Amino acid sequence: MMLEVKDLHVTVGGKKILKGLTLSMKAGEVHAIMGPNGSGKSTLSYVLAGREGYEVAGGSVTYDGHNLLPMKPEERAAKGVFLAMQYPVEIPGVTTLTFLKTALNAQRRARGESELDAMNVLKFVRQRATALQINEEMLKRALNVGFSGGEKKRLEILQMSLFEPRLAILDETDSGLDIDALKLVAEGVNTLRSPQRGMLVITHYQRLLNYIVPDRVHVLAEGRIVREGGKELALELEEKGYSEVLKVPA
Amino acid sequence: MSAALAPIEARRAEALDSFRVRGMPHRRFEHWRYSDLRAVLDAGQVAQAGTARWQISEIPDGVEMFDLSSGGAPEWVVKNLGNIGNRPTMEEASLAFADGGVALRVPRNRRIVEPVRLQISHAGNLRVLIVVEDGATVSLSELHTMDAGLVRNVGVEIALGEAAEFSHVRCAPPAPKSFNVEHIAVEAGRNARYTAHFGNFGSRLSRTELHILLGGEGSEAHLSGVTVLGAELHADVTSHIEHVAGKTLSTQLFKHVAGGRARAVYQGKITVREGANGSDSRQTAKALLMSQRAEADLKPELIIFADDVKCAHGAAVGDLDADSLFYMRSRGIPEREARRLLIHAFLEEAVAVIEDGALRDIVWRDVENALPRAMEAAK
Amino acid sequence: MSASETKDQVAALGEKYKYGFVTEIEMERAPKGLNHDIVRFISAKKNEPEWMLDWRMAAFRRWCEMTEPSWARVRYPKIDYQDAYYYAAPKKAEQYKSLDEIDPKLIETYNKLGIPLSEQKKLAGVAVDAVFDSVSVATTFKEKLNDAGVIFCPISEAIRDYPDLVRKYLGSVVPVTDNFFATLNSAVFSDGTFVYVPKGVRCPMELSTYFRINASQTGQFERTLIVADEGSYVSYLEGCTAPMRDENQLHAAVVELVALENAEIKYSTVQNWYPGDENGRGGIYNFVTKRGDCRGANSKISWTQVETGSAITWKYPSCILRGDNTVGEFYSIAITNHYQQADTGTKMIHLGKNTRSRIISKGISAGKAQNTYRGLVSVHPRANNARNYTQCDSLLIGAKCGAHTVPYIESRNPSARVEHEATTSKIAEDQLFYCLQRGLSPEEAVALIVNGFCKEVLQQLPMEFAVEAQKLVGISLEGSVG
Repeated sequence: MMLEVKDLHVTVGGKKILKGLTLSMKAGEVHAIMGPNGSGKSTLSYVLAGREGYEVAGGSVTYDGHNLLPMKPEERAAKGVFLAMQYPVEIPGVTTLTFLKTALNAQRRARGESELDAMNVLKFVRQRATALQINEEMLKRALNVGFSGGEKKRLEILQMSLFEPRLAILDETDSGLDIDALKLVAEGVNTLRSPQRGMLVITHYQRLLNYIVPDRVHVLAEGRIVREGGKELALELEEKGYSEVLKVPA
Repeated sequence: MSAALAPIEARRAEALDSFRVRGMPHRRFEHWRYSDLRAVLDAGQVAQAGTARWQISEIPDGVEMFDLSSGGAPEWVVKNLGNIGNRPTMEEASLAFADGGVALRVPRNRRIVEPVRLQISHAGNLRVLIVVEDGATVSLSELHTMDAGLVRNVGVEIALGEAAEFSHVRCAPPAPKSFNVEHIAVEAGRNARYTAHFGNFGSRLSRTELHILLGGEGSEAHLSGVTVLGAELHADVTSHIEHVAGKTLSTQLFKHVAGGRARAVYQGKITVREGANGSDSRQTAKALLMSQRAEADLKPELIIFADDVKCAHGAAVGDLDADSLFYMRSRGIPEREARRLLIHAFLEEAVAVIEDGALRDIVWRDVENALPRAMEAAK
Repeated sequence: MSASETKDQVAALGEKYKYGFVTEIEMERAPKGLNHDIVRFISAKKNEPEWMLDWRMAAFRRWCEMTEPSWARVRYPKIDYQDAYYYAAPKKAEQYKSLDEIDPKLIETYNKLGIPLSEQKKLAGVAVDAVFDSVSVATTFKEKLNDAGVIFCPISEAIRDYPDLVRKYLGSVVPVTDNFFATLNSAVFSDGTFVYVPKGVRCPMELSTYFRINASQTGQFERTLIVADEGSYVSYLEGCTAPMRDENQLHAAVVELVALENAEIKYSTVQNWYPGDENGRGGIYNFVTKRGDCRGANSKISWTQVETGSAITWKYPSCILRGDNTVGEFYSIAITNHYQQADTGTKMIHLGKNTRSRIISKGISAGKAQNTYRGLVSVHPRANNARNYTQCDSLLIGAKCGAHTVPYIESRNPSARVEHEATTSKIAEDQLFYCLQRGLSPEEAVALIVNGFCKEVLQQLPMEFAVEAQKLVGISLEGSVG
């Protein structure tokens, strides 16, 4: 197993959000996590990425056989954990290209690989950016500042493409995207599917899953996985709605 | 003593009397409340500090220079020296005790492209006079070299004629055991423009004080600065911009970072005098605290006596944004590196306004040098 | 609020300063001037215990060594402290046993001020302590409050009846030596209000004190002490008026608030002392020290003030956020017109962890007036995660007035966040024109626009006072345009 989450309990600001979540995923698979608002989807993504303030009160997370939980966010990133955020942060004063170069080299350094010089970073970024329709001008702007919703999400996928993670978590990547932007982002994700890589696609709606077809679907409600199934489960959810599906015992 | 020097000598004698009566500023002076100079330095030490040294490696064509330690001052020096601004006590001291300094003049309509590079070194008092005549343009970099244990007190006067433009970058590297006081007085004529940037990296007590008189209609002042401090360093930037004439414009943008046990101070006072209609003033001061023992003090002040004005100020103290920090770390950037980048980003807009690339690089270099200390917690 | 509503309100009030009348009533005064004997006289008049006299005498000795502060942006001729009366009371005041016995002239006075005191006409839901010059003349709803365990009485009475409570808290927020005017008050205060809300009690009604200066050449020095015990809540409001006179009269009050664990105090002021005439003659010098201490964890103190009166206002209602998770608020409207001068603001002292403060200040300056906001936000090293937000807006009406903003921000904790924003501008001509075009008079238009400008603060006032305050905003700006 690439990722094993066992009986995970998480509190945020004293409030219990995840209450015994269990989940496992093999390399090469794409899993979807679906759930209504407030079910704990974003909390799961933040806990996997190591955000402060998310207190693990019980359970375990194993990633490639290692305990993930004591690692700092940057260690996890260097070990191949990537979180595409629902709301990518705007950082005025740091150009996108500077940020990409710094992150790329920090990860390489942490893995004991040689750093890339500015020219090679630029070549690499250009090569990956074209497919996502990200132009030079965008790379010169401050990170995410003044970017449209679609631009922000494309930039997240570009980073996923550059960092080549083992485990990619996509948190509501479809939110705020029109259909063209959605297709572009999905295409970017699909080209990154590989036997070595696992992807956890977190979404509220089934729509995204028409374009990124999952191997497994997990339904998250009130902090636990309440149902699991193949891609057809997503369609069932779409058709009947969460309240109806959640009535059925798992 | 030559006859031409007599008015200057008279003015110096007056300055000496004025300093003796008022003495060293201390925290009971409202504008010195965060920088108690008298507590760390006495008047005798200023009087006995002698004269600091200055150097200009190359005078650009078209700029007239006069060494204030030599005799036979030209009329433009006699007229202006010691007569610009509101004569605060430390400026009077520099006039009284400095046996030298430099005066520069850019004649009417001369546009000087190459910046004048002024270096100031050693302990002591010093005077600088800059006269930019109508329609003339020049820029000045004022770089301080700071050695341990010195007392420096500089008085700078800047007279800007009609539509004159002057841009000024001042950089003072850290000097933990020194005292560094500078007073800059500016008088701006009609449509004149003063642009200045201050890179402050702290002393045991460092004070940069500006008094800018926007006396001519349409005149402008644009100030920016960064202060990056660690250890027990102190830096105080205090500005007072007076909008006297109509349609005057001032902007200010200051960013301060303090770690260790450092103290970063910004006081910015805007006065809009009666009748200065159509004036516009904006002021932003932000500080980041990096340690439990550091302190930031901000005092943006608006004193408005005219109604047809637009004035606004914003001030904020805080730490680095937690979301940005997490975002960076989640992309593999180690915490310290992420912090450094975010501090850079915080300072960026205040440095970016420096037009001259070489001067901008000097400020960034000093920022880089100061950052490791500023990012340290108190020992 | 619609335009017509404002219009009606302004029209209904008509005249300029409607509280400027004098009540002809037989008064008893102490001799003019200030010395040890006057302090003893006041103490004796109140039948005070020995400890209270000692306290006053210590304050007086200290005051003799102090100098009047000069840092505020207010200018006035030197005050001759020997040329004023320090005690004045209606002759029969001490003998009133019940509301029915009060001199009809006093009842009439308060009726004219809109504060009925008699049993039949009492304001529903608001208990009133009426202070006339140096003494409290009436307190309504005493029994009902007693049933809830709430003590609401003149402070002179509290000193006699609840000495332990008073001794424990008096001077514990504003020390006797705090500042020139507070020390003077400590020596000569003659009356004021004491409130104690016991543990867990939510005070069943609004409490209020109505301060009236009537006698000429007399200073008013009231003292208010409010203690909210653990888990209690109280909302208190005060109103102030004085007759129109050519002379300047001194009002130097001290207000102390103590909020223990989980307690909340909401303190509202509508200050409408006589502001002087349009040439700057007469008016009250209002030098007031108000401070609240959030002593227990999770407590909250909220100040709301509408300052429209007084020739000079010098006051900084402050919060000491001592307990962890405490909250301090300051909502202020300060209006100056003609030759009025105001230097007012707040101090938020963050000592405890997770302390929060909010400052909303709206200054309006017209005529030849000077209006200064002066505020301090101080974050101490222990105040982890402290938060402050400050918004100061100034509005100028006319070219001869001044509006000034002097904030001090001092932070010594890296996890604290302090944000300050300020703007100064003149009243928008397009807004004025729009109102005029729709048929409002210039004064109605100003009242409407200024009410909008102040809305965020007006909303903080208890209902009973909000309407009154809205009218006041309009009235105090009369003569500022046109």
